Amino acid sequence: MPFLSHHPILRLILSPQHLGRSMAMGLKSIWLHRLRSFLTALGVVFGVASVVAMLAIGEGASHEAQEQIRKLGSQNIILQSVKPSDSSGATNETRSMILEYGITTRDIQQIKQTVPGISIVVPSRQIADVAWAGQKKEDSQIIGALPIYPQMRNRTLLQGRFFTDLEIEDRAAVCVLNEALASKLFPLNTPTGKAVRVQRHYYKVIGVIEDESSFSPGDTGKSSASNDSSAQLYIPFSTLMDQYGETFFRYRSGSFEAEKVEFHEAVIRVGDIKEVETRAEAVRHILERNHKKNDWRMVVPVELLRQAERTKQIFSIVLGSIAAISLIVGGIGIMNIMLASVTERTREIGIRRALGARQVDIVLQFLIETVLLSGVGGILGVVLGLGIPVAVSHFAGVTTVIKPWAPILAFSVSVITGIAFGIYPARRAASMNPVEALRHE
Amino acid sequence: MAGAPQSGTSAVSRAVEPIISLQDIRKSYQQGEFTTHVLQGVTLDIMPGEYVCIMGPSGCGKSTLLNILGGLDQPTSGVYMLGGQDIAQLNDDELSQARCTKLGFIFQSYNLIQQLSVLENIEVPLYYKGMKDSEMRPIAERLAAKVGLSHRMHHKPTELSGGQQQRVAIARALANEPLVILADEATGNLDSKSGNEILDAFDHLNREGKTLVFVTHDERMVERCSRIIRLKDGFVDSDTRTKRALMAA
Repeated sequence: MPFLSHHPILRLILSPQHLGRSMAMGLKSIWLHRLRSFLTALGVVFGVASVVAMLAIGEGASHEAQEQIRKLGSQNIILQSVKPSDSSGATNETRSMILEYGITTRDIQQIKQTVPGISIVVPSRQIADVAWAGQKKEDSQIIGALPIYPQMRNRTLLQGRFFTDLEIEDRAAVCVLNEALASKLFPLNTPTGKAVRVQRHYYKVIGVIEDESSFSPGDTGKSSASNDSSAQLYIPFSTLMDQYGETFFRYRSGSFEAEKVEFHEAVIRVGDIKEVETRAEAVRHILERNHKKNDWRMVVPVELLRQAERTKQIFSIVLGSIAAISLIVGGIGIMNIMLASVTERTREIGIRRALGARQVDIVLQFLIETVLLSGVGGILGVVLGLGIPVAVSHFAGVTTVIKPWAPILAFSVSVITGIAFGIYPARRAASMNPVEALRHE
Repeated sequence: MAGAPQSGTSAVSRAVEPIISLQDIRKSYQQGEFTTHVLQGVTLDIMPGEYVCIMGPSGCGKSTLLNILGGLDQPTSGVYMLGGQDIAQLNDDELSQARCTKLGFIFQSYNLIQQLSVLENIEVPLYYKGMKDSEMRPIAERLAAKVGLSHRMHHKPTELSGGQQQRVAIARALANEPLVILADEATGNLDSKSGNEILDAFDHLNREGKTLVFVTHDERMVERCSRIIRLKDGFVDSDTRTKRALMAA
């Protein structure tokens, strides 16, 4: 097939020599108009750079949010007791001196009995108090928890261990500090083995647990992630019940206030991750029936995750549109300059046609030039775009995540833009009448 | 009405096929309501080894005829056979290939590509023929040497004199060993000295057996060529063999 082997496209593909020569020719003519080429490519450079950088920053933000949500446990439904605001239906209760609210044993029992597919329910209580270590003190959350707590909440122990079932049974005086509390009470030495005092009771520190990445939604609809580094002291659930009983007394500005909260938090683990949302609905029904007051809330990490993903999707669409627009603008710039170049080189086109160049040869010549222009712009854009997230991370402390496909995608799109916007000028060059092209001054 | 070969070809052996054969070539342009008839039936044969000069006053259709001969323009009617091939039957790609391999062009204003060096300019037709780089280079170097530009091979056209540029164009026209070389006022932009040098070069090529077709005003050519075709108002006015041709015969 000698004819086929002479076809310019095949020739370029089959012979790296011809491809190299065509590219060298294209680069030469780009270099001939350095400033013009540079300014033309700049549109693509900024387009590609902004795409890469914005993808990295967006990916970083959603990555951080998703990581925090995942920490809450995607198989979990988290119930929290909320102190009702004074105005909300508090008529009889305020008179009874003891404010009773939150998740109760009855709730937990009903959930356990009526909602299928639930593997474990882990309640916990928390009380605000002051933790002492020698002369150092810190306002802390004293949390009564079960041994399964760290596993349920995806939190790792940095030192030592968490409680055992035996210690729960024994109502042992042991405690685990979170990082924030450990660093405040024991800034210089390891806390394990030391003692921490709360009121009159001493607890032996057996471990340090990482800080909670707390998710504090107003309701499950709105979500805002923040790193909560408040001090926390974990003691066995049974020990806490012993020390504090069911009622918590607090003196506040002369007046006496008593609160009774059975559980401050309960984590329900659903066996099948796909059923989490339907189970959450069932739990919500039970709680809505049991509670007249708005004294509880439910956090479903899977729902939050889905919302975060939806937000990311919208973000991606917006980003994609901006990218498309900026690349179209860059492409128009390229097309504009190539049209000027075609006019400028009309005579050269005529000469080449007279010497035997086919239309497809001319098309390829100009197309290679535009692809080179947009490709070089794309590479510069990727380099710039990879630099921006690094700088942002460094100076603004924002997490950025560069997915390996992002620069590849941005570069390919820039090359495709070059082809798309180069076709018309190239075809226009090729379709010129050779006689008129030769006559062109 | 077409058919009988012109008197000038009679001396050449009948067994040899003409390189170029034009049968009643007509060309007209539509300009608004007016139709301009530039060529009104040109019939002629050009045999291998001939040195033809097409002359005539401005507007007689010389350039149009040369464009048609060069496959750059299509006649409105008539048959043009180039090397036994009917040009009208070729598609654009085939026509380009025919220009590339069968024809060599020389222009009044040299028409070199300014960004390319002397060697690269000579290589352009070889490239479009589909030749490899390694094959092109020695051919281009040999041709550059042939036109006396061995010492200027890597220069750009702008660094050369007019005469030198035209010699690059000659080397380029020879690159694919075409059947015929077409030249349009090849000496028009040159002073008489370099013009004469170029004409000497053409004489030399013709002695080597190259077929040359010239369009010119230059009366010096009358002395050098073997056949003069004079056009007038789109017709062949006269077609005569020169002394030189008769001597050669």
